[in-house]
Amino acid sequence: MNNSLGCTCLLCCVRSVGPSPELVRQREAKWINIIGQWNRILLRKSSTVKLQCQKGIPASLRAKCWPLLCGATGRMRQNTILYETLDSQPGMQSWVDIIERDLDRQFPFHEMFLSKDGHGQRGLFRVLKAYTQFQPEEGYCQAQGPVAAVLLMNMPAEEAFWCLVQISEQFLPGYYSPLLVILFDAAILTWVLKKTCPAAHKHLQQHGVEPLMFATDWLMCLFTRHLPFNTLLRVWDLFFCYGVRVLLQVAVVLVRRVLGRTEQRKQCQGQMETLERLRGVKEQVQDEDDAFIAEVNLTNTTKTLKTKI
Amino acid sequence: MAGKDYNHLFKLLIIGDSNVGKSSLLLRFADNSFSGSYITTIGVDFKIRTVDMEGERVKLQIWDTAGQERFRTITSTYYRNTHGVIIVYDVTNPDSFVNVKRWLNEISENCDSVCKILVGNKNDDPTKKKVDSQDAMRFGETVGVRVFETSAKENINVEEMFMAFTRMVLRAKKQSQDRAEREREREKDTVNINAHRDRDRRKRGKKCC
Repeated sequence: MNNSLGCTCLLCCVRSVGPSPELVRQREAKWINIIGQWNRILLRKSSTVKLQCQKGIPASLRAKCWPLLCGATGRMRQNTILYETLDSQPGMQSWVDIIERDLDRQFPFHEMFLSKDGHGQRGLFRVLKAYTQFQPEEGYCQAQGPVAAVLLMNMPAEEAFWCLVQISEQFLPGYYSPLLVILFDAAILTWVLKKTCPAAHKHLQQHGVEPLMFATDWLMCLFTRHLPFNTLLRVWDLFFCYGVRVLLQVAVVLVRRVLGRTEQRKQCQGQMETLERLRGVKEQVQDEDDAFIAEVNLTNTTKTLKTKI
Repeated sequence: MAGKDYNHLFKLLIIGDSNVGKSSLLLRFADNSFSGSYITTIGVDFKIRTVDMEGERVKLQIWDTAGQERFRTITSTYYRNTHGVIIVYDVTNPDSFVNVKRWLNEISENCDSVCKILVGNKNDDPTKKKVDSQDAMRFGETVGVRVFETSAKENINVEEMFMAFTRMVLRAKKQSQDRAEREREREKDTVNINAHRDRDRRKRGKKCC
């Protein structure tokens, strides 16, 4: 991990799971090649890029690749001093107060976010405050907190800011304000579940469990609180490549992991019991879970949605 | 489902501004613990606790919601089938008390009739207290809602508040059951008379009117 890029995430550095060092080096070489050609060939999301995103971006290169994939790098180049300017100005007090109250409530046990005056919490404040200055009408949504925190674990504040902008504007427009799109996506999730795992869908319906009861946090916080860390990063590799459909695919796979088998459904008879299982979904996924990522890739919600239209 | 281990099942909902201590209150009541480290609630979270009340087992499903205003667009989902709503404010933050009115409006938009209680949390440091107990009580009286002051951190009044509220919800249920019972009794009488008359008419082969 390149510490000059501002990442202090120990989890990335000390990996007991995941690909071998040789494989990581091979992938790094491929990505360095892709990054080198990014502007020249402008084939941003060619099949090579997609394939490499599916295999997972090496930890050392996420700081470079995520902003490139989501278009943050481009916006940063077009607005070279904007972040710096926003950062140097005080934000609107009402937003500042709300943001400050949330700083120690993101990853309270992550070493980067432990201390009030530490690098993590200060960075988070700057990024979120800058966003409220950049989009004053929209302001700050609490669900952006954990998203910004994971960005900051992987890249410096300015890149994290532009990634947050791209996520909020381009990838998930209407998710954080006025929040209506999440209603829509929850309805889509119901529909996709009905098509792809009817037994689980039927179980949810029978017990009055609606996606808004368990998937609001999943989708709005991009699974930051519900996946083991390295698997989460792999999911984000896919998200920055394919966009919102990855979130739905992951949600479907998670529901399947919890309610896919008959005996699992039998074990949670009732609304609370089912919700409790879904809340504990993290236990059903391993860290750096290749099988999970493969399953996400295979769950093609776009195809399912097209049949609807 | 396996045999029920309770006599009553109630769904309670905790609402109120962000960072007033909704999740802390729930954690204190359900797990008797407090941690300085919480994460913001996005969407909804919940816990279950079963208590003994008036010789009966009462199972409480307590739903904890996100406090930020913009989440209200999705909260109506969580109000469904709710028996009681706990509105929380922070005694050190007057804005959160001012917003209680808005939360009360939200309840009336989503529920026909539901038990309510008002809770001033973080009541453990008199030097930081900014919402006067008397003001809160007076406000509670005008809107017909009982007020409790608690501290999830210092474990003050939390159990008492939840138990008092559970008792209110239980009594409301019993009252409505009694009402329904009386209704049924009245209806039974009416039905009996009609049934008798109808039978007579059928026997005589006459049509009604």
